Amino acid sequence: MATNTDRRRNNPPSGGTHAPVFARTLREPEYLQTLRPTRTRGPNELRRIFLQTSIIPSASGSAYLEIPSSSANSSSTLIPPTSSLKITASIQGPKPLPRSAPFSPSLLLTTTVKFAPFATRHRRGYIRDNTERDLGVHLETALRAVIIGERWPKSGVEVVVTILEGDEDGWWGDAHASGSGWGLLNVLAGCITVASAAITDAGIDCVDMVCGGVAAIIRNPDSRDEEDLVRVLDPCPAEHKQVVAACAVGYLASRDEVTEIWMKGDVGPDPDALIEGATHASVGSLAVVKEVLLEALQAKFQGQIESSQGAQKRKAQDVEMTG
Amino acid sequence: MPPQAALVNLSPAELSFLRSALSQTPPLRLDVTKGPRDFRSMRAECDVLPSANGSARIALEDGTEALVGVKAEVDTTPQRPVLGEQEHVVTNNGDEDSSANGKGRNGWIEMSVQVPGFRDDDALPVFLASMLSDSLLAGGQLKDRLYINTRFHWKLYIDILLLSPPLSYPLGLLSMATHLALLSTHLPSLKSEKDEDPLFDDDWAAASPLYPRSSSKPLTARDMPPVIILAIAVGPNIIFDPAKEELAVADAVLAVACTTSGGSGAGAKIVSIRTIDPPSHLTPPAVPNSMNSATGGTAPDSSAQALTMREMLATSGVWTPPRGGMKRGLVSQVTKMVVEKGGVAEEVIGALAGIEVG
Repeated sequence: MATNTDRRRNNPPSGGTHAPVFARTLREPEYLQTLRPTRTRGPNELRRIFLQTSIIPSASGSAYLEIPSSSANSSSTLIPPTSSLKITASIQGPKPLPRSAPFSPSLLLTTTVKFAPFATRHRRGYIRDNTERDLGVHLETALRAVIIGERWPKSGVEVVVTILEGDEDGWWGDAHASGSGWGLLNVLAGCITVASAAITDAGIDCVDMVCGGVAAIIRNPDSRDEEDLVRVLDPCPAEHKQVVAACAVGYLASRDEVTEIWMKGDVGPDPDALIEGATHASVGSLAVVKEVLLEALQAKFQGQIESSQGAQKRKAQDVEMTG
Repeated sequence: MPPQAALVNLSPAELSFLRSALSQTPPLRLDVTKGPRDFRSMRAECDVLPSANGSARIALEDGTEALVGVKAEVDTTPQRPVLGEQEHVVTNNGDEDSSANGKGRNGWIEMSVQVPGFRDDDALPVFLASMLSDSLLAGGQLKDRLYINTRFHWKLYIDILLLSPPLSYPLGLLSMATHLALLSTHLPSLKSEKDEDPLFDDDWAAASPLYPRSSSKPLTARDMPPVIILAIAVGPNIIFDPAKEELAVADAVLAVACTTSGGSGAGAKIVSIRTIDPPSHLTPPAVPNSMNSATGGTAPDSSAQALTMREMLATSGVWTPPRGGMKRGLVSQVTKMVVEKGGVAEEVIGALAGIEVG
């Protein structure tokens, strides 16, 4: 879109830059196929998750999520076979709305999702594009339903999510994969999980913890049959040649409710299995989030007790000076 | 501040009344003559724009009106880098496998939505455009049809114009208008062969439709563009095609995009599902008589007491904005009602096919 170009900075070509193409991959087309990553996990096995809360001291709540690349880095090629996911979220507020803003009976939630310019193979600009805005709308839908907004009239809260490294839409060697949008589902699920952890860290009242999860239906790579489909949890799009359909959900485990569904692809008449798979994946990430929040809480109170004890001790050691 | 499109100015008492009417069995809708599965009546026409490849206009009875134009342009396909000696090998491969299956790219379809009163980077138009393009791209058949040869392809621009202000949530209307416009879209027929520069027949009568119509096949077995159906849940009831006021009291809103199931011929299949944030989350909570000193109650002393008193009146009928999401059972119930044989999707697609095309 012409209105979205950034005219203030000296930008690289708008079409993006390509990863270098090496002569060997052109001379021997079979060699390229040997670089294709494959899924080594079981169909119901999730990638490992790293999560940490309270990383930004000036924000009222913050969290960092990392899902590392599952396949080992090979030394024979410069190009990483699969991508990893790294997201930070920070919460500003709840704070009073400016005087000029109209009255709001409940907490006004603003979500901003932004890819860092270096987050994907194609460079992203500084101004948010349509996919980023759309992810923001999705995240808002997922969070609005869990926050008890009526307890903060006339106030607002901002959720700022920055994606430092995003999952790719497919393997870099497949020309048809780029722009297919399968990686965005993983990014959305990560955004939901990390934003929810940050909201809990900020101490905003919620009905439950919302967690993101993804499931996909893929063509079975082992069989010749076109119709042989498998359901996998937490798909890494680079590891699958043909993704038929995928679904990301925001799931409230203790209420057994979904606040957000984003499903696309050729689902067929019955989407229940896909939604169920995605909720299983989100329960997996919930286990991590719970542990991390519990640890953070313990560390916080441990620190408080120690500091209060230390203060008492210091008081006892103080010598009263009398003239 | 994101402007809320479908926000209505109803008092908490009105919201509470509307909700209790809608959660009765059977539900009593705002328009009492309509059942939970009835759509609002509309006027539609196809091929209204002479300079577009396909177009449609739909006007709802409440005054909402949408115009969709589809234009196609020939565009070059960027080539992957190949070594010089491999050039002919690649073209040979192209000749062997001339079917277009799986060769389409998502970037070949571009969609823009314009809603009056909204900037084109506001949340609502962005959301509408991505939901509509998601459902179009899902099957992959449409983008494969845009393939001409290894070097050229059609680029399809779908421009959606909402002519009236968004009086109700416009997603269903826009998707039905897009459906009709794509059904009436024709592409000029190709005269050149294989990898030559494309040359087209200038006779418009020879143009081939983007979605081929064969009246011999039953409707469900034909390939049709997707249509998006909006459903809301109020208590135990599921209501399709909600009006603006009904949307304001919904517990959850679901948009289901579906198309005909193709070969098997029974019911429809789903190509995309999305939840939509119900505007009811932004409605003001009511103050019950027991908490209002003007009506004989006692006003709470502290904010903590106010919170406790609020939580205790959850089921008393005093309006409180709904919390939490949608039960999983409800989601599968909605999708089943949409896709089953003789379900809502089949009804809508059948009704739209009944409109005289061309």
